[in-house]
Amino acid sequence: MISRILRRTHMYLALFLTPWVLMYTLSTMSMNHRGLFRELYGAGPPAFEKESELSWNGSFSDGASRTVQARTILASAGLEGAFNLEKSAPGSLVIQRHDPVHPRRLTYTPADGRIVVEKQIFRTNALLERLHRRRGFQYPYVADDGWAATVDLFVVAMVFWALSGLWMWWEMKATRKWGAVAALSGLALFLFFLVSV
Amino acid sequence: MSWPHLNRRLHLYLALSLLPWFLVYGASSLFFAHPSAGGIFYNDGVPEWSLHAEHPFEEPPPDGDGAALKQMGKRIMELCGLEGSYGVHRQSPTQVNVYVYTFLKATQVEYHLDRKLLLVKNRRFRWDQFLTGIHARGGFEQEGILNRLWAVVVDVVCLGFLVWITTGIIMWRQLKHTRMWGWVALAGGIGLFGVLLIGL
Repeated sequence: MISRILRRTHMYLALFLTPWVLMYTLSTMSMNHRGLFRELYGAGPPAFEKESELSWNGSFSDGASRTVQARTILASAGLEGAFNLEKSAPGSLVIQRHDPVHPRRLTYTPADGRIVVEKQIFRTNALLERLHRRRGFQYPYVADDGWAATVDLFVVAMVFWALSGLWMWWEMKATRKWGAVAALSGLALFLFFLVSV
Repeated sequence: MSWPHLNRRLHLYLALSLLPWFLVYGASSLFFAHPSAGGIFYNDGVPEWSLHAEHPFEEPPPDGDGAALKQMGKRIMELCGLEGSYGVHRQSPTQVNVYVYTFLKATQVEYHLDRKLLLVKNRRFRWDQFLTGIHARGGFEQEGILNRLWAVVVDVVCLGFLVWITTGIIMWRQLKHTRMWGWVALAGGIGLFGVLLIGL
């Protein structure tokens, strides 16, 4: 009974998390071959290009912090979500909106009520790396908390797959010998790198 | 040996071979997702870095952070008897830092130009830093054959993940009574991933 539950959980969890496994795998490969992408696109992150220009004539409440101001600007542009503030020249507010697919930079100039929206040029490797690094419950948005929860689930799943896999292997007597050879070879190689790199 | 049999064995033996990497990537991800979690175990007052040695040294550093500075870092490492991956950066106008890193140990050499002195400092061992250090290691741009071999292994682990997905899906498709709930799980995962991608 336990064995059956373990097998089913192992499999259904893997099927559910397939998109995350694929994303983490492809992003790791991309980061491991960063030099190739540098040759292809040049050094540095993708450039931003102007997407639109909006005017905003609203006002902030007295004593509103720059963070609150940024949230208001993002809401007025219909771009709510995780962000941080860049150091900017006095009299302007520069907001980096962390959209994983299309990161944007919004520059608000209160003097003329202008919001310039720039979108980062899309690159698949950059998208994968952003998704790989996205984690944590630090943003006050449901989607970010949801993503952080799936990252935690993935961590638990990794350990569970390893332990339930060991259990399933040990139950199949016919595979014990060659399984032990495979496990010990992998462990030996890992330990070799551990002490020599 | 039939094809389904071969598929199952490939899934199993590949997993057993790559188990250390699988466990390390899994366990270390916890500390990336929750960076403060590691610190809980090390609130004992022991300093992160401790002075290991001092050496007199005098050499004007080159301009910029390029290859010449890296060469100087290499000479500093040789003088201090250090080996491993390393990085060099100018901490301030009067200080150059050389960070030397292996899986088991991290050392920082501070070159204080005004005092003409090298301070060799060792970082205390911490499990969270040990695991995240292995996790973050990769790339073919590092110096040394072993570092490049490690990058090859990272690629092999990635290919292993792709093989697990493929062989796992084949095994699932062969179990007729699990197909419906398998579809629910797969479609649910793809749907949630898509929704989060749009919502972030």
